[in-house]
Amino acid sequence: MEILPEELKAKIIQSLNLEDITPDQIDNDAPLFGTGGMELDSIDALELVVMLEREYGIVIKDIEVGRPAFKSVNTLAAFIAAKRST
Amino acid sequence: MAATGCGVDEVWNSIRAGTSGLKPLTLFQSPRYGQIPAGEIQQDLLALGALSRGSRSDRLGWLAAREAIAAAKINFSSCADRAGIVLGCSVGGSFDSERFLTTLIKQGKMRARPTRFHECASVVELIAEEFGLFGPGMAITTACSSGALAIATAAEMILAGEADVMLAGGADSLSRMTWGGFHSLLLVDSAGCRPFDAKRAGTSLGEGAAILVLESEEFARRRGAKILARLTGWGASCDAHHTTAPHPEGEGAVAAMQSALNRAGLKSSDINYINAHGTGTRDNDLVESKALKAVFGERVPPFSSTKHFFGHALAASGAIEAVVCVEALRHQEIPPNSGFLESDPAIGLEPVTKFQHAPLTHVMSNSFGFGGSNAVLIFSKPETIPLTRAPESKPMVVTGLGVIGPGAICEREVEKPLPPGKVLVHSCGALADAASLTPNQRRRFGRLVQMALLAARRSHERDSSQRLAVAIGTGLGCLEDAGIFLENLISKDEREPMPSRFPNSVHNAPAAQIAIDQSACAMNSAPTMGEISFESALWQGIHQLEIGEADCALVGAVDELNKYPLAIGSRWKKWSKKTIPGEGAMVASLARAENSATPLARVTAVRLGRWRKPFDAEREADWIASAVDLEKIEIILSGAKGWPALDENYSAVAAELSVRAGGKLEHQTYKQLCGEFHSASGFGFSVAMNLTREKKCGVLLYTLSPRGAKAICCVQP
Repeated sequence: MEILPEELKAKIIQSLNLEDITPDQIDNDAPLFGTGGMELDSIDALELVVMLEREYGIVIKDIEVGRPAFKSVNTLAAFIAAKRST
Repeated sequence: MAATGCGVDEVWNSIRAGTSGLKPLTLFQSPRYGQIPAGEIQQDLLALGALSRGSRSDRLGWLAAREAIAAAKINFSSCADRAGIVLGCSVGGSFDSERFLTTLIKQGKMRARPTRFHECASVVELIAEEFGLFGPGMAITTACSSGALAIATAAEMILAGEADVMLAGGADSLSRMTWGGFHSLLLVDSAGCRPFDAKRAGTSLGEGAAILVLESEEFARRRGAKILARLTGWGASCDAHHTTAPHPEGEGAVAAMQSALNRAGLKSSDINYINAHGTGTRDNDLVESKALKAVFGERVPPFSSTKHFFGHALAASGAIEAVVCVEALRHQEIPPNSGFLESDPAIGLEPVTKFQHAPLTHVMSNSFGFGGSNAVLIFSKPETIPLTRAPESKPMVVTGLGVIGPGAICEREVEKPLPPGKVLVHSCGALADAASLTPNQRRRFGRLVQMALLAARRSHERDSSQRLAVAIGTGLGCLEDAGIFLENLISKDEREPMPSRFPNSVHNAPAAQIAIDQSACAMNSAPTMGEISFESALWQGIHQLEIGEADCALVGAVDELNKYPLAIGSRWKKWSKKTIPGEGAMVASLARAENSATPLARVTAVRLGRWRKPFDAEREADWIASAVDLEKIEIILSGAKGWPALDENYSAVAAELSVRAGGKLEHQTYKQLCGEFHSASGFGFSVAMNLTREKKCGVLLYTLSPRGAKAICCVQP
């Protein structure tokens, strides 16, 4: 099942309390973490773990597992789609 | 008191036998993580003789204090005024308050409020009261480094001449809050912690208490005490890097170890054993190993983490590990790093895996906490020659002041979990310059941290060339974050936790965020002691300047007003109608007089203690006069708050001092301006500063807690 980037971005904004940001300000391929993009940090990654479980029923127990998926909006959407199809 | 046993001998024997105390949790229901092992103390504390009043943390602390005092064969009745207590405590009465909140949230019923024992200061107050200690006292709440920082602070108090003997250590119980919190951060190894192991996947939570009797050499010799070990070194630092993650190269950890070695006058090669912080998380153990290599080079001494025995007992951890170090010296034995199986090439160091005998002269204990607060202790055999460096009592000045508050008195709606209704409050209102905070600071932090950040910025211009110490007192800490986190945890049975709330719920969140904002890498502390929380911070900050460990100190106090303090932590219902709850933040920037060109005023005295019941105004006046030159004082500014029993005491002391000063002393108050909150004396300090500058006279700030703590602070032009 495909995950719409717009929908995912809205959920990221909500779960990370990014009030100043609108979905169209987030580039689907820009890095979410580290410099040059959203500049989120490790605690935001944990909030995304909670969001994935709440919204998509995907449980991540080791943050290392989530790390490649959290690179960008597009990688995260692909990760969710892959998990949901298995 | 630890998962492996109650009493020092039981604990040491469990280490000799290699028996871990980690077992599935029984203390409370954990719908989601119930099978995961924890270092729980499963003995019945009441059957061991604990007091029936108090929280679980209070009981653990009290049992440890009883054992320590009996072992030291000390009688405080002849030295009560020279005997104090500093304990690390960061969970406080949370476990007991959670039962209150659970009933309130799940059944809509209010049971007796856990007010008195919720606070982290409760264990300090209870032990001081029970054992008759009237010297200085405070609780240190810097999360996982609290216990070690408490022991360091107690040692400083003895060296500074504030006391001859101190109880020092830490106490923390397991709680739903920390249990759910550490799980939300994915920091718990479901197989039990494996410090320094290649497959390590987190820590194990534990609980416990440990208390040392620290004495000055002279006092111990005079009373013929059997000396178990000597505390020769201690050092504190702050990463000023991140809320939960350590600095990637362990810069703060290195600085704290170096500072402890310097203090002891030792070389790194003198250390024979290190009790590592070794939590078992991926980050901590990797960074700690880098720091060990940076300090000790190729020759890292034998080291082990004992967290697989006890679990990580948070604020008690550093204290339990201090006891482990003392026992290691006494028995000349090294405890093994239980739980370790496989070397991690990234770490490149192997801990001691088998219990062994070894000649030990100097041993080091590391403790690193959330918010990047680090503390390191060095214990040595009793016969080692001490390097005693007494602090220099130099004039200290205030160079900047930042205040948030007070606002207007207004009616505030209270909602769930409290019964809906209206209360009168003193609110600081919307934070005017909140827009100057970074987007991350605005979205991540609640009111308490934002108030503290803004007050600190108003008091001090960031200057990374200075070594900056931070000590921010708070009575109740971030109860909003803690309350929201707990409400969510309880109502959703541990599903959908809030990982960004939990790290902000610790009492040292304001101090830690100020450190990050201001690049403050020297000591970082969050003392709490009810009404004298601010003065406790002031004492710590000034002391760091006196011993030359900092060039500048930001000291202050902060408490916030929302429904959670009203529900759990505040005693507002007990007060008379004249008392209105309030909130506020105050931060003062302090430096040595010689380093400041344009000081606002001098701070000429700070002293902490406890008053005796019944209150004796003459005795109190003696205590004040011994620290303050009454000739130089014209105003006594008291914390009177419309609570007749306490206000009469203030008036009686003001009258007595006035007589002694020749009748010219004026008694003023400040809580009519800011309302009542635990750390209101921080606001009082800013009023005292204004008075001293306007009227060109000395002002004495005098604070009494209904529970016995007292403090004075004197500012002069």
